Amino acid sequence: MKALTENGVTANESVTPAPPTKRKSGFWKSVVQQKYLYLMSLPFVIWVFIFSYLPLWGWTMAFQNYKPAKSFGEQKWVGLDNFKELFSDDRFYLVLRNTLAMSGLGLVFGFVVPILFAVLLNELKGSLFKRTVQTVSYLPHFVSWVVVGGLVYKMLAIEGGGVNDLLLWLNIIDEPIQFMAQPKMFWGIVTVSDLWKETGWNAIIYLAAITGIDKELYEAAKVDGAGRIKQMFHITLPGIRTTITVLLIMSIGHMVSTGFEKQFQLTNSLLTDYSEVLDLYALNYGIKIARFSYGTAISMFTSVVSVILLLIANGVSKKLTKESIM
Amino acid sequence: MNRKSTKTVFTLMLLSTMLIAGCGGNNNNAANNAANSGNTGTNTGSEAAGNNAAAEDTSPMTITFFGADTSPNWNNMQDDVGKAITEKTGVTIEAEYDVASGGGEDKISLMAASADMPDLIFAKGNLGKLIDAGMVLDLTDLIEEHAPNMKKLFSENMNRLKYSNEDQAIYSIPTNAGVNQQSFDATGGFELQHRVLKELGYPEIRTTADFEKALKDYVALHPETDGQPTIPLTLNADDWKIMITVTNPAFISTGLPDDGEYYINPENYEAQLHYKRPEEKEYFRWLNGLYAQGLLDKDTFVQKDDQYKAKIASGRVLGLISQEWEYQDAENALKSAGKHDYTYAHFPVTMSEEYQDHSFQQTGIDGYGLAISAEAKDPVRIIKFLDWMASEEGQVLRNWGIEGKHYTVNADGVREVPAEIKDRKVNDVNNFTKESGIGLYGVFGAKYGDGVKDSTGNYYTTSFPEEIVASYSDVEKESLAAYKATTWKDLFPAEDAFPTKEWGALYNMPTPTDGQYQVIYQKTQDIIRKRIPEAILSAPADFDKVYDAFLAELDKAGAKDMEAEYTGLVKQRVELWTGKDL
Repeated sequence: MKALTENGVTANESVTPAPPTKRKSGFWKSVVQQKYLYLMSLPFVIWVFIFSYLPLWGWTMAFQNYKPAKSFGEQKWVGLDNFKELFSDDRFYLVLRNTLAMSGLGLVFGFVVPILFAVLLNELKGSLFKRTVQTVSYLPHFVSWVVVGGLVYKMLAIEGGGVNDLLLWLNIIDEPIQFMAQPKMFWGIVTVSDLWKETGWNAIIYLAAITGIDKELYEAAKVDGAGRIKQMFHITLPGIRTTITVLLIMSIGHMVSTGFEKQFQLTNSLLTDYSEVLDLYALNYGIKIARFSYGTAISMFTSVVSVILLLIANGVSKKLTKESIM
Repeated sequence: MNRKSTKTVFTLMLLSTMLIAGCGGNNNNAANNAANSGNTGTNTGSEAAGNNAAAEDTSPMTITFFGADTSPNWNNMQDDVGKAITEKTGVTIEAEYDVASGGGEDKISLMAASADMPDLIFAKGNLGKLIDAGMVLDLTDLIEEHAPNMKKLFSENMNRLKYSNEDQAIYSIPTNAGVNQQSFDATGGFELQHRVLKELGYPEIRTTADFEKALKDYVALHPETDGQPTIPLTLNADDWKIMITVTNPAFISTGLPDDGEYYINPENYEAQLHYKRPEEKEYFRWLNGLYAQGLLDKDTFVQKDDQYKAKIASGRVLGLISQEWEYQDAENALKSAGKHDYTYAHFPVTMSEEYQDHSFQQTGIDGYGLAISAEAKDPVRIIKFLDWMASEEGQVLRNWGIEGKHYTVNADGVREVPAEIKDRKVNDVNNFTKESGIGLYGVFGAKYGDGVKDSTGNYYTTSFPEEIVASYSDVEKESLAAYKATTWKDLFPAEDAFPTKEWGALYNMPTPTDGQYQVIYQKTQDIIRKRIPEAILSAPADFDKVYDAFLAELDKAGAKDMEAEYTGLVKQRVELWTGKDL
């Protein structure tokens, strides 16, 4: 990204006067040669700069005791006070645990299940059935979390809730369980509802990657006597390995910044000890009580950790598989 | 590079420039629009300055507004009262209201963060954030110069409008509480359905034990309502509503007036989280007992606001512990469906006969109100508009509606509401409110309370004894007759049973947004909203353990510091309002 920005800026400079200096280094030579390509990328570089880099200026708030009505010059600088308070708050560690636990579960299941689903779906022969299953499975992705929250509550209700009715009918339990009043079940409930919502959608990209695998490989395998299971393990999975790695690295990068829609919609006051995630904490203890600086410190922490996680994941993957996104 | 590809590249370039130019163009338009509206703003401003009489300036003007309470029937001023207001003042209110369970907390926090707010705001408990951000106007001079009606209305109570002892500015005009309000009807306390009362032969409902017995006896007789299981009692614990139906009743039933989360010792003004009173522990123990007996709905602490209301609207909830405004929508649905025996009666229930329900203890003028943005283009015009709303004409319009349509004046000069309108007010409330606008403009101006008469000798509001009795359904009248009362208020201790509170209603008092107060408050709220349900849901044998751990946790979170800071604020308020030296 950094290199890109530099290129963009230099392209910008070099275009207006357009001096054809032939004796310059190879870099400049290529810039001149590919000036139209550079020009075409310029709008996007500017776009990224405006929407992704300019807002970083707001991070200065984390080092101030920010008051909205004052101008930048009038703000009081407090150094690292906000961070000191953050790291000395017990609640922060609780919230960090919840965030990591839920995104960890999400990473494990939300990653394995779609791949499995895609590979199995790929084995289906009847194309009408296959397409129907695929469409039905990704439709929940377009349902907003507000609605999903309502659905989950309804499904898990004591009175007329599908899950309790089913468990009672199967004689697994004797009386209905109040799922949404059990703090320890919350992580599971979030993971399962997330799976229901996103499995189909996440499988699309793997299905697309699978279609890209050369059909001749399968034929060759068949000739060599490989059964369907063997084909899956030796052709399909290795064939989509690159896709898997890229997506894995990216989702590791998102581990601490998972957003808060799910938790916000599904939680109630009984569950806060297990449902509050970093973003909700920033909302409740930052913005909601007008502690904008504290909120900024929290989100700055999550951003920095995200970048570090991304770099680590990328580095590890580069070492182990020679595949990386950077 | 050949010619063709150069051409393509240029076409692409051109396209992208056009795109960018297009965006730029839009921005310019927006800027122009803003400039234009800015001009109109100044124009009306100069006109307003030119015409000395406020009421004469009726050039069209739009006031943007945000209300922290929900207002589902808001009809963009296309209702009768709204049209009349626009006709008289030229003002159109462009209103936005908070959604879901309301409160406005998120929305107003964001306004403070982005320094972008509407001209007029009804911020409730979140006004402090806007004040600290320097975003609202000090109205002292504006009221002094341009608001004769308001000055008359508040007269000797102007001190009570001031923000605090240190900052004596007036930031908001109290509009959700009427001046000199005399209540004629009770809308709080504990509620029981009329069918329960009738079936059980109208038993005395005075203590929590009576209430419990009524629930238990009735549900034993009728375990099902319209084919669904009967719910003896349900409460609403969604977000801040937990205060209204779960935690506030703890002090209401142990003989205290409402001071938000605190108990104020009247001797030395020491503030204490009210949960720490041993009496209240007994109240929560009672709820715990109800839960153990299956009388308290199992979904109580899990359900959301809409699920709670849906249950009430289905008619199968026998009892509530709430305020009428909190479950009004659901009860209106029952009335519209003609199921009057499923609606609720109000009783001043307390833990035992030694306590009295303090619902009617007078607080003096103290209410949430309207604040004007520091960025508002024409604050003078806005204050004049608000002053018109506070005039006799404005108040009568807001409360009674249009003469000849919603009320008539008989030969003796007495305002009367026609039978057909009365019927719609009871049985078709939501549609009637949408069409007429009566009840939608309550917060848009200071007002007199119930029981105050205007210059024609009529009451300002439509809530006076005869009118209230007339609005009762037959079922309600039957129940009242059985208790030898004309209104529910007759069952409650009256205003004169208690002295007026020196510190007003403390849930209205702004608290500092700087420093640790808000953090500790938020922490204690998290603890309360988690532990109180836990204590109620725990096995009766564990109740003491859970409750004591809860109190210890509050102090660990810094409750003592918070209480000390609050005590200071209360003392300051008493000094400011009463002139006492503490």
